[in-house]
Amino acid sequence: MNRDSLLAQLTALDFMAVELALYLDTHPCEKKVIEKYNSVIREADMIRMEYERLYGPLCSYRSPSNADQWNWKDNPWPWECAANFEIKEREWQ
Amino acid sequence: MWIYEKKLEYPVKIKATNPKAAKIVLDQYGGPDGELGAALRYLSQRFTMVTPEAKAILNDIGTEE
Repeated sequence: MNRDSLLAQLTALDFMAVELALYLDTHPCEKKVIEKYNSVIREADMIRMEYERLYGPLCSYRSPSNADQWNWKDNPWPWECAANFEIKEREWQ
Repeated sequence: MWIYEKKLEYPVKIKATNPKAAKIVLDQYGGPDGELGAALRYLSQRFTMVTPEAKAILNDIGTEE
């Protein structure tokens, strides 16, 4: 899978996790939602590991670094259009 | 303690460059009535909450914003 589609998948799963967590804050006994939440974060963690292995760290103090260079600092950063998989024409970056 | 993740929560499709719209969006983000101010208010108000649900929801909304 390429970088964009891997990141798109991870973004979708993490967004689901955030929303389910907010829902559960005020509905803490809904077992079906807890089940869904647990399965979403398990899948997200697997994809996150794969993404970080191929394309570098997503966190500056939880993710392993490239051994010969601190690649956390590498471009693109999230606010740069190279990182935005929704933008198809990125030559104007 | 918060964790920064080097990715967007919800990437937006920008179809055209529009400085006027960009200014409004930036103001909504960091301006006097923007997300940043709201986030900090949620995070302060959580300290006065009584129920665990209320503490959790203010903590997590403040975090997300």
